[in-house]
Amino acid sequence: MTQILESPLFGIVLSIFAYELGVWIHKKTGWAAANPLLIAILLVVAFLSAFHIPLEAYQTGGDFISLFLAPATASLAISIYNQFSLLKKNLLPVLAGCAAGAVTSMGSVYLLCKLFRLDEQLTASLLPKSVTTPIAIEIAAQNGGLVPVTVAMVVLTGILGAVAVPALLKLFRVKNPVEAGLAIGASSHAVGTSRALELGEAEGAMSSIAIGVSGLLTVLFSMLIS
Amino acid sequence: MKLMIQIGLVFAVCLVGEGASAALPFPFPASVISMLILLLLLLTVLKVEHIREKTDFLLKNMSFFFIPAGVGIMGQFDVLRQNLFPLLVILVVSTLLTFAVTAYTVRAVICLQERFRSKRIEKRDGAAP
Repeated sequence: MTQILESPLFGIVLSIFAYELGVWIHKKTGWAAANPLLIAILLVVAFLSAFHIPLEAYQTGGDFISLFLAPATASLAISIYNQFSLLKKNLLPVLAGCAAGAVTSMGSVYLLCKLFRLDEQLTASLLPKSVTTPIAIEIAAQNGGLVPVTVAMVVLTGILGAVAVPALLKLFRVKNPVEAGLAIGASSHAVGTSRALELGEAEGAMSSIAIGVSGLLTVLFSMLIS
Repeated sequence: MKLMIQIGLVFAVCLVGEGASAALPFPFPASVISMLILLLLLLTVLKVEHIREKTDFLLKNMSFFFIPAGVGIMGQFDVLRQNLFPLLVILVVSTLLTFAVTAYTVRAVICLQERFRSKRIEKRDGAAP
């Protein structure tokens, strides 16, 4: 039994099946809240706790999976490239909107952290919460944050955004698809974008542009702060 | 292109990104540098078809690669429990604010652009009767 747990394949196999189960549940229910990543994380955590398996045993395989984070982030270049003409056409609204969004997100998180007297480590983990996970992880790690807390907050932010999209569009009287897409992408990254795609192609495209641009701007802003 | 070469290409870009990140005098995420390098390559010599299968696989299954990072939350349960209320407030308030500010900024910029454009057209039409 211990040999099985010591193999890196244990963590990899567990992750793959937890993920596929999450994807299946998401497809079956169609709920934004049934996010495959969230389900997979909960399943793995439940499995490890139920069988008293130490986190280290899982992470032996988990480290192999994390190795692919960098290539996955780099692949975002394809999404930006596919929307490049649209990006050029709306350059000013995109840059202004994403910059304002990035500053608002980081500024509000920072002020609230100060208000609640959270320590520096936790603040660093929360600052990049509105950008896409691969970029948020790097920003948090570089500023001494707790990466798992960042992942949890980023995923929850995305789910909240996706679930709240119809209400938010109504509340702020958003009618223009460019405006809707950028606001969704800047506030709730890829999970929100999956919802934006359901609204329409223009919304989805602008939302994917916002993921990349907001991510880049947040990296730049967090460099200026630190 | 052969899948093996596609994988090699994307990994090579990431390796260069890591090297560049280490060489920079300030901290800048290696994967973001790799993303910029790949974008630059796509705008110049590389075609999307050249790396389509590999990047499709990575993009479509993007969230799979975050599972281990997320499972690490097991080691942070105490931090979460102690700060549950502040974390929830931060989650909701900052997501709402970010959405609203982005939407209003985009609206204002588009409005300004349109006003600027129609003024220019007015001027042009006025100057050439």
